[in-house]
Amino acid sequence: MSEEQNENTAAVPVPCQDTQGDGRWMSLHNRFVSDSKDKEPEVLFVGDSLVQLMHHFGIWRKLFSPLHSLNFGIGGDATQHVLWRLSNGELDNICPKVVVLWVGTNNHCHTAEQICEGIMAIIQVIKKKLPKAHTLVLGLLPRGKDPNPLRVKNDKVNKLVRLAVTSVPHASLLDIDPGFVHSNGTISHQDMYDYLHLTSQGYEAVCRILHDHLRSLLDKSSEN
Amino acid sequence: MNGAEGNPAAEAKPVEDVQGDMRWMSQHIRFVQECKDAEPDVLFVGDSMVQLMRQYEIWTEFFSPLHALNFGIAGDTTCNVLWRLQNGELDNIRPKVVVLWVGTNNHEHTAEQVAGGILAIGQVLISRLPKAKLVVLGVLPRGERPNPLRAKNAAINGFLRLWLPQLGQSKAQLLDVSKEFVHSDGTINPRDMFDFLHLTASGYRIIAKPLSDLLLQILEETPEERRASLV
Ligand SMILES: [Ca+2]
Repeated sequence: MSEEQNENTAAVPVPCQDTQGDGRWMSLHNRFVSDSKDKEPEVLFVGDSLVQLMHHFGIWRKLFSPLHSLNFGIGGDATQHVLWRLSNGELDNICPKVVVLWVGTNNHCHTAEQICEGIMAIIQVIKKKLPKAHTLVLGLLPRGKDPNPLRVKNDKVNKLVRLAVTSVPHASLLDIDPGFVHSNGTISHQDMYDYLHLTSQGYEAVCRILHDHLRSLLDKSSEN
Repeated sequence: MNGAEGNPAAEAKPVEDVQGDMRWMSQHIRFVQECKDAEPDVLFVGDSMVQLMRQYEIWTEFFSPLHALNFGIAGDTTCNVLWRLQNGELDNIRPKVVVLWVGTNNHEHTAEQVAGGILAIGQVLISRLPKAKLVVLGVLPRGERPNPLRAKNAAINGFLRLWLPQLGQSKAQLLDVSKEFVHSDGTINPRDMFDFLHLTASGYRIIAKPLSDLLLQILEETPEERRASLV
């Protein structure tokens, strides 16, 4: 399983295949590209459904719209899809100060190491396209009502990414888990309605941590 | 051609836990548990269209006051809903109305099969809850521009309109608001469907009002329960 022999598909840009037949993924990507032409966001959110759904809760308007944020989340996206989108137009018309990246929990075919490499590849693309921007990677959340292998894997991704970004000045990892796993090992549907996606209560807890951190990042970048 | 026999969309099947975190089964078990503690007048069952509705304000505005339970699971097909209803989600409850919204995820099935699957769910509901009424929500158009799935979903609604009367005199009705979502140029606006499939808060408003009007009308037409509640 050496990397020379087997290419890590989590770190190779690829568009999402339109298996269903309604072209929705590409429609969303095209809309993001055209949306970005007349916007001047300070903060860009990019990732999977956890980013996408955030846009539809009150917390977005309350905390992130005032920071001039754009939301490029697509449900189901894995690292390789975000990599493709960012390499194909979504960063071409904007210059945000911070890119919030939240992706990886859908990389079911990949190991934690591969997912970490995928995230690092995205950070590199952002650096190339937006040399002055800081990438804030959000830690993957635990999932499933009870302890399970995906929680272990997501936790491992976070540890690997944390280590990998220490040597990257323009990127950092933020752990935004407010403590979703209770002492008996369960996650409540009050926080994650399907034990993966957040309720408005779940978003409130996550977004407060994120918002405080974003504010300090933006303050720092305006001092420079 | 609309019977359950030999129709793959009318075969009860649980969702296989391919991801490995058991989320589907955890949700099903939670719904079965909820049945033991709640006395809903209205039961919503279906896929993500049902599930997401609960996450928006329209749920507390329009449907919580009607004593509604929400058994929506994203990605569910008619097969999965059929399995859930036959495996505990109807035990211990006697809703007066069931709202069923499913079918857009049946990618392996033809429009005729999907409508047959929905009809099969209707048959299960009516045999388990003989006094309940059924409201079937028409599957919505999807995709930014015209595409084969829009044609298929429209065909499903066409079959449902023809076949639902088979469930019995005024037992089931179809509420189809699909025309509201397609603009004159053939596009669907992301303001209504944020990913050209799932509804935004304002998209849900398009269906919430007519649905809540219909539910109120049906609930008022159940006189014996009403008299009982006045005693
Ligand atoms: Ca760093």
